[in-house]
Amino acid sequence: MAAEVVAAVITDVELMKASQIGMKAIAAAIAVGATGIAAAIAEMAIGSAAVGATAENKDVFGLVLLLTVIPETIVIFGLVVALLLIF
Amino acid sequence: MLKPEQMSRLLIVASKDQMAPVVTELYRHNLFHIEDYVEAGAEGYDGFKIGTPLSGATEASGDLVKIRAIQNAFSISSEDFEVKQRHKQSGLQVLIERELPAIEQEVEGLTVKRSKLETKEKEYEQNISEISPFIGIPGDLDLYRGYSTLVVFAGYVEKEVSLSVPHETFFTKGKGKNFIVVIAPVGHRNEVEGALQGAGYQAVTIPDESGVPQERISFYSSQITLIKKEIEEINQKLDSIKEKHASFLVACEEILKVQVEQTEAPLRFATTNETFVAEGWVPSMNVVSITQALEKATRGKIFVTELAIGEHDIVPVEYNNPSFARPSQLLVDTYSRPKYTELDPTIMVSIVFPIFFGLILGDVGYGVLLLALCFGLRKFVKGEEGQQLIAVLRNASISSIFFGVLYSEFLGFPCPWPYLLPSRHLNIGGEGGHGPNIPGLMMVAVWIGIVHITLGRVLGMVNHAQQDRGAHRTKAVLANAGWICVMWGILIVIWSMVPMPYMPDFTTMPKVLMSVNIAAIVGAVMLVVGVIFIGRDSGLELVELPTIISHVLSYARIVAVGLSSVAIAMVVNFIAIGMLISPQLENITIIGVLFIIMGIAVFLIGHALNMALGILGGGLHSIRLHYVEFFTKFYKGGGKKYSPFGLNRRFTED
Repeated sequence: MAAEVVAAVITDVELMKASQIGMKAIAAAIAVGATGIAAAIAEMAIGSAAVGATAENKDVFGLVLLLTVIPETIVIFGLVVALLLIF
Repeated sequence: MLKPEQMSRLLIVASKDQMAPVVTELYRHNLFHIEDYVEAGAEGYDGFKIGTPLSGATEASGDLVKIRAIQNAFSISSEDFEVKQRHKQSGLQVLIERELPAIEQEVEGLTVKRSKLETKEKEYEQNISEISPFIGIPGDLDLYRGYSTLVVFAGYVEKEVSLSVPHETFFTKGKGKNFIVVIAPVGHRNEVEGALQGAGYQAVTIPDESGVPQERISFYSSQITLIKKEIEEINQKLDSIKEKHASFLVACEEILKVQVEQTEAPLRFATTNETFVAEGWVPSMNVVSITQALEKATRGKIFVTELAIGEHDIVPVEYNNPSFARPSQLLVDTYSRPKYTELDPTIMVSIVFPIFFGLILGDVGYGVLLLALCFGLRKFVKGEEGQQLIAVLRNASISSIFFGVLYSEFLGFPCPWPYLLPSRHLNIGGEGGHGPNIPGLMMVAVWIGIVHITLGRVLGMVNHAQQDRGAHRTKAVLANAGWICVMWGILIVIWSMVPMPYMPDFTTMPKVLMSVNIAAIVGAVMLVVGVIFIGRDSGLELVELPTIISHVLSYARIVAVGLSSVAIAMVVNFIAIGMLISPQLENITIIGVLFIIMGIAVFLIGHALNMALGILGGGLHSIRLHYVEFFTKFYKGGGKKYSPFGLNRRFTED
């Protein structure tokens, strides 16, 4: 009887651990995926304006590249959060 | 190194009769960056006027326009043209006068004839398209016009039309559109028109032709074939002329360009009735040689002096880098050329860019392929910038091989030796061992970020110390030191709280207050001092404080992009070999051979795609780390490019 209970508890604990790993994986996926989408939306507007500006004046290329990649920071944060979650 | 070429400001004064020899001499040396004279009442330039071109300018520009027109007709571009032989200038001069008009006439005659034929061809094609609707209707084309009591309608309708007035109708069914011709008395025009409108009538032009439609069409078609043949003949003639004269033409263009630039140089000088003054910039080490050359050319009838460089002078900038760093000038120029007073970051870019690229695309296989690609492309890519880009890629691919050895990776497979950097082998298909050492990789990336950013800030201190004056100078230098203090302060505080791999562990230091130890207090003090320094320079800058964390973490992209390329490579290997090829090898059948071929295709296409992605990702992210994280700490750019008066001749010689 006692052995059965112990066995059941152990399976429950294993199940919980497994589901926790799954939840972590989902959370990590959301962290990277959602920030990726957010950065893409932000860069969409900046990027098209940047191309326009470069067409008018080639010298601003360095500056507009800088402005275009500013939202990328969000993805990096997402990535870091994801890596912290998994490892 | 780190500094652009040192420049001196030169003032040249001579009488106007010495203008031609001075211009020729300056042009020959290709060192003098002319500061264009503008009639804006500059100090000391009262009464000066912009000069007039030397004699022969109009003729030379006229000839140059002619040559460029011919080059256009042949689509020759002197930039892409390979140098086969160098022409002698004196011989060429005679040839320009003797042969150029003849060539021009011949080419012009042929191109005019060709464009006339092309117009005719279009006209005939138009005629054919006008006649073709009438093919299905019996009768000659001249039956459709020339009536005074009858009116003719021809056009497309959606459905058949029934008319209540006297008429004659021809109707042909077509795909989607039906063609109709209605002939009715003039008096019933309105009724017919109304009925046709109801059927969605679209009128077509009645062709001004006579005869059977089919015959007319075949006549025009045969004419078009003839015209095409003639155009082909003309093109062949033009090609043979191009073959014969191309090298002569590019040489002529070069000589005439030299002449035009020289004869028009006085437009950039300040002149009086009898004298002229030219101001400009020369690399300091060439001042003596150029002064002596000018004195020799004018037999001493010239005054050349070096002027002091004023604070507001915009000095043209020429790079001064060792040869291995020169290709990276392209990357710095893409951002912006350094100012004269600023540090030139090219040498640092030339060292760090390949390292970043290698850390991202660290794979022996891809590195070797990319190196081979660079050597292959070197022959086909023309122009200086293209060659520079190839050289940058070459360095990057060598670094990629080096880091591939350290990572122990070959096209995603592990190499026989152990990895020397944290592992990037993923656990795909159950063949990755322990999986990647993400914390280790992250710490390496963060360390790179810390060092790179600290270097940037140190350079920022140097730049401000060199460029600024007065109280602002001290504040700006201290502010940069403040940024370093804040960053290291935060780091020390973190180290005092959490032990991390590859990082110093300060958690065991003696405690001072509750759980706060000495290291944490030192870190906090550094942080506060740093913030004060930054705030003293500009309070607004304090808003930027979070960028310390975001910029350091941004170097995590080295790991992220690198891992993604490893992942793609391993997935390709798993699909191609693990899933398609190796199961079939155990028992070879005909279908199995198909699977193996498919596996090889997946392998080749997958790795080609991944390499393209790797070049893009590795290159773009490495350069972005320079532009955004590194340059923003010290580098402004916006310098003027040094473009000396002269030309490196490629096709001609004196």
